[in-house]
Amino acid sequence: MKDHQGDPIKEAWVICLVLGVILINFPFIHIFNNQQQIFGMPPLVLYFLIGWPASIGVTWLFVRRMGKESSTTDQETGE
Amino acid sequence: MISAKIVLIISLIYFALLFAVAYYADKQRERGRSLLSNSYVYSFALAVYCTSWTFYGSVGRAATSGLEFLPIYLGPTLMAFTWWYVLRKMVTISKQENIVSIADFISSRYDRSALLGAMVTIFSLFGIMPYIALQLKAIAHTLEILSSPLHLPSAGLSPLGTQLPPYLDTALIVALVLGLFSVLFGARHLDSSERHEGLVVAVAIESLIKLIAFLAVGIFVTYGLFDGFTDIFQRFFEQFPERQDLFSLGTEETPYTKWFTLLVISMIAIMFLPRQFHIMVTENPDEENIKKAMWRLPAYMFLINLFVIPIALGGLILNGGDTSQADYFVLTLPLSAGHPWLAVLVFIGGLSASAGMVMVASITISTMILNHLVMPVILKLKIRTHDFSGVLINLKRLGVLGVILLGYVYFRIIGESYALVNIGLVSFMAATQFAPAIIGGLYWRRANRQATTTGLLFGFILWFYTLLIPSFARSGWIDSDILHDGLFGIALLKPTELFGLRGFDIYSHSLFWSLLFNLSAYLTLSFFTKQSETETLQADKFVDALNETVEPIQRKRISKAPTIVEFVGLMSKFIGEKPANAAISEYLQDRTIDTRGSLADHEIPALKTFAERTLAGHVGAAPARIILENYLSTRGSKMEDVFDIFGSVTISHAANREQLSVLYDAAQIVASGGDLQKTLDDILGLLSDQFKFDLCVIRFLEEKTMNLVVNSQKGMSSVHFGQSERNLNAETYIGQAFLSNTTAVVNDTEFLDKPTSAEIIHREGITCFAHTPIVLEGESVGVLSAFSRTVKGIFTKEFIALFENLAGQVGIAWRNDKQLQGLLEVHEQEREMQIARNIQMSLLPTTIPQMEKIEVAGLCVPAHQVGGDYYDFITREENGFDLVVADVSGHNIGSALIMAETRTFIHARIDSIKQPAEMLKSLNRFFFDNMDCSDLFVTMFYAQYSPDTYKLGYSSAGHNNPLLWRQKKQEIELLDADGLIFGIKPTVEFQQKTTQLEAGDILLLYTDGIVEAEDNNNEFFGTERLGKLIQESVDLSAQELIDRIMDQVRMFTGLRHFNDDITLVVMKILK
Repeated sequence: MKDHQGDPIKEAWVICLVLGVILINFPFIHIFNNQQQIFGMPPLVLYFLIGWPASIGVTWLFVRRMGKESSTTDQETGE
Repeated sequence: MISAKIVLIISLIYFALLFAVAYYADKQRERGRSLLSNSYVYSFALAVYCTSWTFYGSVGRAATSGLEFLPIYLGPTLMAFTWWYVLRKMVTISKQENIVSIADFISSRYDRSALLGAMVTIFSLFGIMPYIALQLKAIAHTLEILSSPLHLPSAGLSPLGTQLPPYLDTALIVALVLGLFSVLFGARHLDSSERHEGLVVAVAIESLIKLIAFLAVGIFVTYGLFDGFTDIFQRFFEQFPERQDLFSLGTEETPYTKWFTLLVISMIAIMFLPRQFHIMVTENPDEENIKKAMWRLPAYMFLINLFVIPIALGGLILNGGDTSQADYFVLTLPLSAGHPWLAVLVFIGGLSASAGMVMVASITISTMILNHLVMPVILKLKIRTHDFSGVLINLKRLGVLGVILLGYVYFRIIGESYALVNIGLVSFMAATQFAPAIIGGLYWRRANRQATTTGLLFGFILWFYTLLIPSFARSGWIDSDILHDGLFGIALLKPTELFGLRGFDIYSHSLFWSLLFNLSAYLTLSFFTKQSETETLQADKFVDALNETVEPIQRKRISKAPTIVEFVGLMSKFIGEKPANAAISEYLQDRTIDTRGSLADHEIPALKTFAERTLAGHVGAAPARIILENYLSTRGSKMEDVFDIFGSVTISHAANREQLSVLYDAAQIVASGGDLQKTLDDILGLLSDQFKFDLCVIRFLEEKTMNLVVNSQKGMSSVHFGQSERNLNAETYIGQAFLSNTTAVVNDTEFLDKPTSAEIIHREGITCFAHTPIVLEGESVGVLSAFSRTVKGIFTKEFIALFENLAGQVGIAWRNDKQLQGLLEVHEQEREMQIARNIQMSLLPTTIPQMEKIEVAGLCVPAHQVGGDYYDFITREENGFDLVVADVSGHNIGSALIMAETRTFIHARIDSIKQPAEMLKSLNRFFFDNMDCSDLFVTMFYAQYSPDTYKLGYSSAGHNNPLLWRQKKQEIELLDADGLIFGIKPTVEFQQKTTQLEAGDILLLYTDGIVEAEDNNNEFFGTERLGKLIQESVDLSAQELIDRIMDQVRMFTGLRHFNDDITLVVMKILK
């Protein structure tokens, strides 16, 4: 237990969560809310087409880090 | 067109296959091989979130309102990110408290309130009806589209064909079939744990099928009918330039408030829809699966939404912009393009989506009805029969059917007037009302029952009034005047413009008012009303579920401590009487001495340290420690952990009086001494009486057979457990507990991962059990076990602490008994051996040569008190050093003496004899001359390494060939050199070889104890395993490699003790 330093993963997690809330809400998405076309697609559609998988990637990275953190307990349970 | 009969037959075959899989899964679980523990099954089953609302409705929504369908899936993606902290907490609590539904969860948190349970059940039922209606509507409609010649549904719902009577429509048939299968999947028998492995596996497969079907039709439309994403967008923009707002937000159709509302609702729904809760929490087999699901479920949602916009736009282009059938584009596009079989696949996908939801939801709600509505009534009426189970299972089946039929009724009354998506949101909003109660309950201690009840009630009244009433009014089921004029003609009470709040869409409006009232009541009442004592207890359990228990403080003391006089006596032996007395009087100057001339208890350890330090000044630190340890241990006293009875149990409301009294009584029993058997029996009696266990057992290790033998037992006779003795291996829970020195707990025997144990456990009908090792000075000596046939989840964190503590007490009783006997019998002999051992161990190198470019470590573990193994590092003057490993046969004093002689011989001649071969030759001569009458023999490997030249010269006297890992070639080499074991012939020529080492090479010298370690099947550990182990561990340091090898050998043999001495020396060439 790191009492004073806190758990860096947990802190990064909170930051990412807040960022996620911002990124999918007004006013941020308003940036992409226009009638232009990028690669023949509306910018909002393109934004979600790229941003969504990216957010899943971030989650994946977190899960991997957490996996390492708790790998000692994994060994104990024989999993 | 495809005939309805063929579609029906295909659907039934599909269901039958699913059922077969489910049945298989149930059977596997009974055998202790849970399919559910597969993390893919869990992730896919969670996709039960994607119902026909997703499958058909998303496209419909995209075609009519644009991007509005997205937040329903973006919200859960965001929520999934919190799962490792939030969901894991819910799962942990549910396992500890044996919670089986969301109603159970809320009621458990708030003082186990029956009223709350019933409320949540009723609200869930209300909330779920529209959703089930939606699924029935989707199946019925698609079935008709598929079989109608015009590819369009006729007005209203026509019966299947024309031969059915008018009161039997397609939706009713669908409802009945789904009802039948739901009963088959989820209510075949009564299961107190409410876990339905077969159902979950079936739902997971359905999720896979619906994804495949949707991707298939998406690829078909995007790349078959059109030329990719860009093509669809371009053609759409050309054809409908005025419909660009489909891709905009902040429009009249999709204002940002609605976007936000949908995000919030869906974030909550993914966790608190009763069916999601059931799959996520109740059916969760392992917390680790949550991690995988955190990214797999969002990925699933992304994939299933990838083609929504292309299909929607494609449908609009091909239908000339007509949105009236947009909900079914997924099906009509392949049909009108002349691909009926693709349409059938789509239908099966849609059917999977609907059926999965209906089954899980109906079973979940039916369970809640049974537990929270029916059972309280039965209990209240005090109906007395011998066996309720028959009645209960039938009630549950009725419940499942009833829930689905209620959905059907809703569909008949309202369903047809509403698009799919609108119905779904009504249900989501209902689940939203649970959020304050659950999230608050997880993190806020003060939240209480009264506040929750009121908050929920407010929330639901407002949900009903602002969302359900308008939908009733619009479908014409009630007078629509209320929409225009408000209740009783009061304009402020208009359901869609409550208290004059105008300008919001119906969902944002409803979310705002329902959550405002719900939260306000919840927060204010929690502040102003008090929790009962039992409620505080529950609140703490929930809020603290993930907190680590604080390690108990370990205090040290010396039992049977020597007095001051005895310490002085000991010191006098080594440093003379006068100096000893002088030292002690100086030490005692400022310390209080009681009337009997002894120190207070807590002063003794300090005195010991002082004595050790004083001795060290005369004889050196290591010998001083040995002398003192030796002295204390032969007196039968040792530094030991004080067994603080209450230390490891948090004394808070968490540990109840009952548990503490058991600990206290146990301590009394142990302290009173007496016969060991009686002590053990009494402790078990205490345990089984207080906590109503069906069986409690104490087993101790029998060293001869290495079996755990029953010493005491309370409860079922040993016949029940077949052979009561247990072999030591990690395949049983008891073996695992013993070997790994940790408590093995199974709170629910539905989920077992050890087939050997599962067989016995299931045969005896055990529902939960635990084994905790009885540990003395860090080593297991036995196991304390408890089994229950009736209750699950007894072993909470606090209870395990209590249980482990009891095991500790048993250990003390056992040790006291052993010491009493042992001290009397083998006192003298023990002491001799102990001293011999200490002498021998002190002959092994205590310091390791610190040299640049190499790293050396060594270890010697005697099998008995004394051993015949020997290793040494000897630094030479001319910048090099010798490594020796020798093995003397036998493990007695004789071997130890020869070992000591060998060491003396080498150290005496190290300067005169420069070469390994010469050293071995003269040693051989020495042994031949001095050992002729002895039946002992000696093998040795002698190596000499020069760090400057990286050259290793070596010779062997019949010793095991050391292993050399060649980093460059990535292979293991055996170092062999010819030579006979010592003492056979007077003169022996030993071959001397030289090899060049390089950075990264690892040299491992060892004795036969390691390669001849045997497992249960009398198989040797062998050099091959050893070599492989080095290969896998090239990155470890020398010491870590030794530790790793020891661990592996221990695992291999399943023993803590070895039959032969083990010696390992590792030399690693650094870069």
